[in-house]
Amino acid sequence: MTPRSGVDAADARAPWVRPLVALVVTAVFAVPLYLVVVNVFKPGEHITGSPASVPWPPTLDNLKAALDRPDNLYWDGLLNSAEITTVSIVVLAVLSAMLGHYLCRTRSRFARATLLVLLAGLMIPPQVILVPVVRILRLTHLMTTLTGMVAFNVGYYIPFGVFVFAGFIRSIPIELEEAASLDGAGRWRTFWTVVFPLLRPATASVLIFLGVWIWNDFLDPLIILGPVGGTTVTVGVYRALGEHQSNYGQLFGLMFLAALPVVVFYFLLQKHFVKGLTGGAVKG
Amino acid sequence: MTALQDTLRDSRQPTRKTARTSARTRRSNLGYFLGFGAPGLLFYACFVFAPLVLSLGYSFTNADAFLPHTKFTGLHNYVKLLGDPDFRTSLRVTTILTLIIVIVPNVAGLAVAVLLNRNGRLYRALRTVFFVPVVLSSVVVSVVWQAMLTDGGLLDTVLGSMGVKHPPGWLSDPSIALYSVGWIASWQLLGFCTVVYLAGLQGVPDDLLEAAAIDGAGRWTRFRRVTWPMLAPALTINTVMLLITGFKTYDYVQVITHGGPGTGTTATVAYGVIQTGFTENKTGMASAMAVLMLIIVAVVSSVVLRLLQRREVEL
Repeated sequence: MTPRSGVDAADARAPWVRPLVALVVTAVFAVPLYLVVVNVFKPGEHITGSPASVPWPPTLDNLKAALDRPDNLYWDGLLNSAEITTVSIVVLAVLSAMLGHYLCRTRSRFARATLLVLLAGLMIPPQVILVPVVRILRLTHLMTTLTGMVAFNVGYYIPFGVFVFAGFIRSIPIELEEAASLDGAGRWRTFWTVVFPLLRPATASVLIFLGVWIWNDFLDPLIILGPVGGTTVTVGVYRALGEHQSNYGQLFGLMFLAALPVVVFYFLLQKHFVKGLTGGAVKG
Repeated sequence: MTALQDTLRDSRQPTRKTARTSARTRRSNLGYFLGFGAPGLLFYACFVFAPLVLSLGYSFTNADAFLPHTKFTGLHNYVKLLGDPDFRTSLRVTTILTLIIVIVPNVAGLAVAVLLNRNGRLYRALRTVFFVPVVLSSVVVSVVWQAMLTDGGLLDTVLGSMGVKHPPGWLSDPSIALYSVGWIASWQLLGFCTVVYLAGLQGVPDDLLEAAAIDGAGRWTRFRRVTWPMLAPALTINTVMLLITGFKTYDYVQVITHGGPGTGTTATVAYGVIQTGFTENKTGMASAMAVLMLIIVAVVSSVVLRLLQRREVEL
């Protein structure tokens, strides 16, 4: 993004005002973020005593404690989160690209109605469907399993995937596909060799946004994985909260470790985040 | 655009088809559906569409994990809910929270976007900071804010050093806790609005603003008459997103307040559905609540969307 370079008259008169105000506002906004970072490296008893102080000398005890929990909460959670997130987003990208293609390229009343029903799913809160979802998962013996969690994610987030892909697929000229099929390529090959590579920006958006949402998801894994089927890192933080009175330091360590992958991911792919979000804003 | 493509495609359709090719087309269309459409639709049908229909079905019964027989009870659950003071409280709580969540991040997000709408490394870095809460889990955000707002927490320590002896119970006072939850949600959602508004601000042509300045328009007039109307699409996206998010507020309540302090002072409808459905195991009643919730979300967000989009067109 390249904001305007033209300088306002007021900016020219007092050029230090805007940066100063911007810095102060951001600093106030970032206080909670600062608190997490400093308290991770501070001995537990100092967290309640002087929460805002700079952690000097820094300690890694909190991180070690979170990593070495006897119940293996962090490592189990990390493994589950990684598996659920990776499998879900890969399946979602593939299935929603294909479904989006089918719904955009088929000119039947059925396809049009299906697209509407699917997009209505964008605004269905998970609470509205969770009770029956649990029944369906019990019936199919997928309750409290990672497979069940992934299957639910695919069903629940596919409207978003189709929504993103549909916009892109419509912008690909159909002549391209017709040319490929004249050359003898079947639908399957045309899609994977001609269409899908052109959808790369949409695929990136889908993978990034769904990856963050699914990693951070709280309610769905809380209910579907339940207390026995293990947990994700996000639900793990919630579970550790119950015991925080005794161990604030470890809780901050756990929280830091749970958030770290997403935050690093965000810093690396910042441009894609912004592009994915603002594609719609600019187009209107 | 789409309509244009459709017409173009129509004109390309062959006018005469032999029976053999149309049978082949039909078979190939079925293959296309089974290969491309069906897998995705199957997941959606199993985990969204069927549950939605089941929820609607349960809502007309007395389904309950502790009752052996499920009976059809008609509108009984709905009648009972609408007369239930707890449910009415949860509707009121959800409405207040949604209003806070729609207004605060929208206004503050716009202000921050205008403030940071400049080039340079400094502004780029500051924009990055504002988006960090958006990628954090609401559980993490809840835990951090709880540590800050709890009685004797960081905020009270800071206020104490400034001479405030009896700070309000941000999370323990029944008349304040709801606003604290709204504040926390707003803090997390602000960065989303900022990014969307920044994209909108970049779509405002410089020469238009300069022309307005030459015509003698001051800063405020330029913003009000030039910039603000052009931000209409960004306003639509933010408002609808915040509306849908606000209605389903659950995580902060589950992690921080558990619906309290007192009885139900922060218990949203979404929280009520989960409590009724999974803690009290009253499937029928929870489903009726869920159905009402969905109707409210659907009606309010489509009305707001319609209104905001009409405003965009009038530009």
